[in-house]
Amino acid sequence: MKVDEKLITLITEAVIQELKNQKMKNTGVSSSVYEPNEPVHENPPADLDITSRECKAIPLVEDPADPESLERMMRSTTARIGVGKAGPRLKTQTLLALRADHAGARDAVMLDVDPKVIEDLKLFTVQTCCRDKNEFLTRPDLGRKISEEGLKVLRERCVMRPDVQLIVADGLSSTAINANIRNVLPMLTDGLKAKGFTVGTPFFIRFGRVAAEDQIAEMLGAKVVCIFVGERPGLGTAESMSAYIAYDAKVGMPEARRTVVSNIHRDGITAVEAGAYLTDLIEKIYQAKASGVELQN
Amino acid sequence: MKLSTVLSGHTFQFRSLKEVLAKANELKSGDVLAGIAASSDLERIAAKEVLSHILLSELRENPAVPYEEDEVTRMNQDSLNMEVYNRIKNWTVAELREYILGYQSTGEDLRALGTGLTAEMIAAVAKLMSNLDLIYGASKIKVPATCNTTIGLPGTLATRLQPNHSTDNVEGITASTFEGLSYGCGDALIGLNPVNDTVSSLSEVLKRFDQIKHDFEIPTQICVLGHITTQIEALKQNTPMDMIFQSVAGSEKGNRAFGFSADTVREARELLKEKGTGKGPNVFYFETGQGSELSSDAHYGADQVTMEARCYAFCREFHPWMVNTVVGFIGPEYLYDSRQVIRAGLEDHFMGKLSGIPMGCDCCYTNHMMADQNDIENLAVLLGAAGINYILGVPSSDDVMLNYQTNAYHDVNAVRESLGLRPIREFEIWLEKMGIMENGKLTKYAGDPTIFTARKRFS
Amino acid sequence: MTTETILSVGIDIGTSTTQVIFSRIAMENTSGFFTVPHVSIVKKEVVYKSPVYTTPLKSDYLIDTQAVRDIVAKEFASAGYRPSDTGSGAVIITGESARKENSDAVLESLSSFAGDFVVSAAGPDMESVIAGKGSGAYQYSIDQHCCVANLDVGGGTTNIVVFNDGEVIARGCLDIGGRLIRIGADGIVTKVSPAAAEAAKAAGITIQVGSPADAQTLGKITDQMALALADYMDGGTKYPDLLKKIITPGSSILSCSAKISYLCFSGGVADAVYNENDQLFPYGDIGILLGNSIKKSRLLRDYRLIPAGETIRATVVGAGTYTTTVSGSTITYSENLFPLKNIPVLRMTEKEQEDCFQGEATALRMRIRWFLNQNDEKRMVLAMEGKKDPSYSEIRLAAECLSEVLMAELEEEAPLLLVISTDIGKALGQLMRQNIHDERPVIAIDRVHVEDGDFVDMGKPILDGLAIPIVVKTLIFG
Repeated sequence: MKVDEKLITLITEAVIQELKNQKMKNTGVSSSVYEPNEPVHENPPADLDITSRECKAIPLVEDPADPESLERMMRSTTARIGVGKAGPRLKTQTLLALRADHAGARDAVMLDVDPKVIEDLKLFTVQTCCRDKNEFLTRPDLGRKISEEGLKVLRERCVMRPDVQLIVADGLSSTAINANIRNVLPMLTDGLKAKGFTVGTPFFIRFGRVAAEDQIAEMLGAKVVCIFVGERPGLGTAESMSAYIAYDAKVGMPEARRTVVSNIHRDGITAVEAGAYLTDLIEKIYQAKASGVELQN
Repeated sequence: MKLSTVLSGHTFQFRSLKEVLAKANELKSGDVLAGIAASSDLERIAAKEVLSHILLSELRENPAVPYEEDEVTRMNQDSLNMEVYNRIKNWTVAELREYILGYQSTGEDLRALGTGLTAEMIAAVAKLMSNLDLIYGASKIKVPATCNTTIGLPGTLATRLQPNHSTDNVEGITASTFEGLSYGCGDALIGLNPVNDTVSSLSEVLKRFDQIKHDFEIPTQICVLGHITTQIEALKQNTPMDMIFQSVAGSEKGNRAFGFSADTVREARELLKEKGTGKGPNVFYFETGQGSELSSDAHYGADQVTMEARCYAFCREFHPWMVNTVVGFIGPEYLYDSRQVIRAGLEDHFMGKLSGIPMGCDCCYTNHMMADQNDIENLAVLLGAAGINYILGVPSSDDVMLNYQTNAYHDVNAVRESLGLRPIREFEIWLEKMGIMENGKLTKYAGDPTIFTARKRFS
Repeated sequence: MTTETILSVGIDIGTSTTQVIFSRIAMENTSGFFTVPHVSIVKKEVVYKSPVYTTPLKSDYLIDTQAVRDIVAKEFASAGYRPSDTGSGAVIITGESARKENSDAVLESLSSFAGDFVVSAAGPDMESVIAGKGSGAYQYSIDQHCCVANLDVGGGTTNIVVFNDGEVIARGCLDIGGRLIRIGADGIVTKVSPAAAEAAKAAGITIQVGSPADAQTLGKITDQMALALADYMDGGTKYPDLLKKIITPGSSILSCSAKISYLCFSGGVADAVYNENDQLFPYGDIGILLGNSIKKSRLLRDYRLIPAGETIRATVVGAGTYTTTVSGSTITYSENLFPLKNIPVLRMTEKEQEDCFQGEATALRMRIRWFLNQNDEKRMVLAMEGKKDPSYSEIRLAAECLSEVLMAELEEEAPLLLVISTDIGKALGQLMRQNIHDERPVIAIDRVHVEDGDFVDMGKPILDGLAIPIVVKTLIFG
């Protein structure tokens, strides 16, 4: 191919691409107009968030043998398939979406819980023996112990010997706490009070791990303790929260004594429904005087 | 046994060989958490220096876990090739390192040498090696294994295709499998980590894998990584499986925490002979990873590199098809950042090979570790250069079931092409037949999972 | 893992045939140890199939209910079950028998066999869906995440349903069937239905009672039927005269939101589509010829054919195994209310729901009042889509306003019944119970979709009270 021919081809392609982009922009995300001549694997409109579900649902394989089957396959799993390739490597959009999702997950781990969330729920904050996030990540033993100063605050501010003590901790995802706790905590508190339980003074633990609930339950003399913590984020979601409940929790008790409700987020069990479920579950644990494996038996 | 040294004008005195081994480790957050790491960089080097003069016989006589208490120690000690051992027992660890790196030793020599080494010796020499030492030493050693095909031959780099699904949906798993195959992945294994560890769930997936393998005549192996006891039950019900999987630890106590013992694996071995669909002789898949013993309080005060080496001593009896170090799965409290993960990956691969184990690596990281995809791509290339048997492949590096990241389907062929490596030969011929690969490169049809559905439909 | 199994009976009383099947429906909590329970149906297994009976009729359309009762009694006995063994199921009256007078009479005559939890359902819409589920088309569309049409070609009608990934996206019915023309033993035509006469006209043929049954001539008529069917599947772009005339009254053009990829056939004629046929008139009708015409028509070139799990028994298997669903596993209910049968449904509009989540229910109140008057019913199910992830304040407002309205409008002994599509039943129900201080029973069931005008049956809670088996019925009489 001569140089000028090549140039013409390149220009033509660029113009066609531009027209396509234009058209895509005009039709927008919600449009379901099927245009047979419009290859479905073209780049999405510029205003579509590459981390969005809609965007990830668009196949990027060029000229698939069976386009319909490709979309079907992509619907059958949340795995990132049908993404196409550049040489042996990922396409730019897929690569950047992965990096963006990882960045979201990293932020969920490293950032603090939004102070507004803590304030709205009228919680106060205590810290574990971890001095910073890095220490929290590498020293699970310290994340289970409340600092001396924190213990003093708890003694001053908390109701002693409640039936149920509720605690919130950042755990491995502040994003999960930000997303869910505002809807879970009042739902659960209302439910427990309606059932006639005394509910202890709720508070927030910074740099807190699950087993911190043991020390607190012992100190406050709570019969049932329930701690909400952010789960280790995946690339799919950083919003997943868990609740760990124990009857008569003691420091050093086996992990099997905890009852766990995981996957609390908008695509798992939603926050209000989780609150309602936990209300009944805590009542059951209180009545059975047992949690975890002991409750199952 | 000399446990002290003077370094840069400071005197260092250690109380035990176990302490020397621990402090000679490159920095790992798990050793810090266990309270056994060197307190300064200088102390670390002092420990290495002391270790370099320790005799191999002294290491043999001081296993990390007492012989009487632990079947892993017994398996290791009792199976030692005494002829080799007697020849080298008076070597220092430094001499062992230099022998491994020296031009006088061939890969076969090192395979033979390995039969006379205990896990503690192998761990000790790894501690004296730099990263490039680990790569160079390992690159000399080939550990092939044969099931339906042969893995680990010179010039090859294979992959385990890991088509995990958040709910074990068979169609979703099939879709991910087709995607992976279309990128030239899956020559080592098509292997799923199940969400539901039940016989019925395992069977359903294995039957689909078997069907895919037969319908498209794929020269490969299949496995679903349930608990060993679940797999045994499924096998008793004649579920097709080429091999049995189990996670292993470096002590009997650690394995008990995983819910099995060597006898469980022996039972599986007998059953596989009778009912397994893998041709063999290598029909086991084991997974390991530094730090798992500490997490189940089964480390006996030993460091995580030494405990990891002991895993390979356990695996050795069962002549596995593949052993996988899931290096970055455990989290930052054991391996803090990419530097520690990369180091651990290189150590594990080297130690596994010296133990005579066909090694692969799940080059991975979780989102609460100080690492990202770049680091894990680095590790894959380093291990490719070190002659690793296989790495992993998942859709776009994101495992939606285990919530961590490992190598993407898109990684292996980039590594192969960059280093002049090929898939397992039979598998490459199959890829060529399917139009996915040509002259070691992916074709324009590669990366399209529907080349499988367009040919064959499942009902 | 604990499994709970219920026995379900399916009874199909069609224009020409009557069948009974029994199936076992197994349910399990399929969620893991660390997550909220999730009960699913894990297995459906047909354990007994009756022979295919000719439907006993008193007149052309009136069912001989006493004779039907005898058939059902006999089949219960030969299957070895008592009526009290059944926990769910459906009686379905299909085709031209689907009339209100038949339905009432059958229901009455079968009430002692129907166990605790058996329903009557009829009408071509419901019928097409049930047949499509029984044939396996529904499951195929779920497993393969694809769009499948099921064509249930019976004696008098062809019921069509389109499933896209398990969702019903279109339904329709045509007067095309194997028994529209009947042939006597002597090879003489004994019956020509009006629809068959139209098809003959389109083929340029005149045919009447008394004509000799000539396979070539009749084949031209069935070719026209197959062509009309193919035109119909196109979704109304081309609409020839014949098609207009043989669309079953009440049915309309097939309008699909997704492209149909696969076809599945069920009903009596389906076997002739799937198999090679040696004899042309083994049943004294045009069933085989119609099957042959379909086989060579463009239907099988335009779409891919998938095998059917059931053909002639698809409807009865569908009725017995697929009418039962299971609620979500985080729900609210007061004890000792179950089973509840035939509760009419009022579904909130989008606007009414949105108002409700803002604490406003004037319009809803009026509609409930009207609904209760109109139905002459004390009980009703209030159905809603629900929100996916509502905030605490929203659900609080919704609970307050729903409990206030229902307490005021329902008679004193009537329970407060809610069926919600999204998974918020436990939260909403729990808050409602708090609001009314448990003065009335409350049931709030989720993950079940019901439409305005449906009727709902709720069985006894299963698996330690985790979930409720549900049958949703759509009653339409021809």
